[in-house]
Amino acid sequence: MLGHRSRGAIASLFSLLSIGCATTADTAAIRDDAEQMVSRSFSAPEPALLKRLNQDEAQRICSKIDHAPLAQDESAEVVKLARASIKYPPSGKLIGNWRHGEQLAHDGAGDRIQSGRLEKRKENGGLCQNCHALEPGDVNVGNVGPGLTRYGVQRGSSEEAAKYTYEKIYNAWAYVPCSNMPRLGANGHLTPEQIADLVAYLVDPQSPLNAK
Amino acid sequence: MSSVRRWLAAFAVAALPCCLAAQTGPDGLALARKMLAEDNPGELWIDRGKDLFFQKRGPRNESLERCDFGLGPGKLEGASVRLPRYFADTDRVQDLESRLLTCMLELQGFKREDLAKTAISPALSNGSDIEALALYVTSRSNGMKMNVTLDHPREREMYEVGRYLFHRRAGQTDFACVTCHGEPDKRIRLQDLVNMTDQKEIQEVVGSWPAYRGSHGVVRTMQWRLSDCFWQMRLPELAYGSDVSIALTTYLHRQGNGAVVHVPGFKR
Repeated sequence: MLGHRSRGAIASLFSLLSIGCATTADTAAIRDDAEQMVSRSFSAPEPALLKRLNQDEAQRICSKIDHAPLAQDESAEVVKLARASIKYPPSGKLIGNWRHGEQLAHDGAGDRIQSGRLEKRKENGGLCQNCHALEPGDVNVGNVGPGLTRYGVQRGSSEEAAKYTYEKIYNAWAYVPCSNMPRLGANGHLTPEQIADLVAYLVDPQSPLNAK
Repeated sequence: MSSVRRWLAAFAVAALPCCLAAQTGPDGLALARKMLAEDNPGELWIDRGKDLFFQKRGPRNESLERCDFGLGPGKLEGASVRLPRYFADTDRVQDLESRLLTCMLELQGFKREDLAKTAISPALSNGSDIEALALYVTSRSNGMKMNVTLDHPREREMYEVGRYLFHRRAGQTDFACVTCHGEPDKRIRLQDLVNMTDQKEIQEVVGSWPAYRGSHGVVRTMQWRLSDCFWQMRLPELAYGSDVSIALTTYLHRQGNGAVVHVPGFKR
């Protein structure tokens, strides 16, 4: 017996054959329809905020349907774009203040749009807790991303570890193209200084994240 | 229900899963949901929706008895399991809620802006008319199986668009629907995420909306569920009854075909 998906695929094949359309043309037509619908289905308090709906090149590449694999050149392009996006704090200091980092890591708010208003705060939260286990004993943590408990104990706080960690938060796609992780720095959700504070929270031996 | 009791109920519901979770882990959450679902306050919204459906209302002082949800005017049994579907009179594929809007505009003479603005009610409020109506109409298909057919080319197109949109990453979080809803056993903080790529999990979802949401103290609909996701994704606000919302609903409902409708569902 055919699975649900195979039956769906056969049905789409039939509909394609019946209207005599090549698959690629059909895919392009669906994409055009969808993009037109996106452009007329949302509202925002300021027109500039509607630009959030537009995809950049990397997002386009990373929107594979049904977990289809990336082609080699696509991976390379996403990594290239990600590497080019990374900026560092003017101070050059990649390990900041872990106390502020701890607060940011547990903060999931900032920059959302509801009831015709943009959520404006002093700074955006780091969103980390939504997806990652953090300090030992933290219960209210997600598991979409890997656990980060005792991250610094495993990786140390060398310059190399700090640089990798900074870049991973700034633009995760530089290391794993199209991973689920938001490109928090490249997208402007967090500032370079905020990211350095998160790096400190992750790698500093004093940080509660690295407590026994 | 008095407003004091409603507040108390909402707080009890909001507090219970966290306390049980602290004691017993994720199984505690499942248990709390089951306990609460057996006494679902959302049932009250069904009667309210029924009253609203048959009352003469709006500038034209009409009821919704002539509203056609796809099986003919006023035929509600089994209508929601076929939605979204193509409607020739509007030349659109419509979900239940956008179809309700059409009928409230065309039959009763309400204004679109007024309805769209109030369709999704504030938390801990009395809820909106559309929320109650959507629940009432869906409840007339309780016990029936979801059966979105995609026979019309426009329905097939909406399904394909919905599938594309489900995977479309955008905004400052780089999220698509599939980012959070594409793998089993995932959570955002303590909140379980439905894996929409698993037929059994998606069936539990599509058969359970509209649902009473305990922490909000109101009945929520699919339109609300989708708009809440876009809010967390930091994208602009999804317009009520928009094509994007209908395309995603078409995709999800079709993927959940075979699900038995049992509303109101119960959510934390």
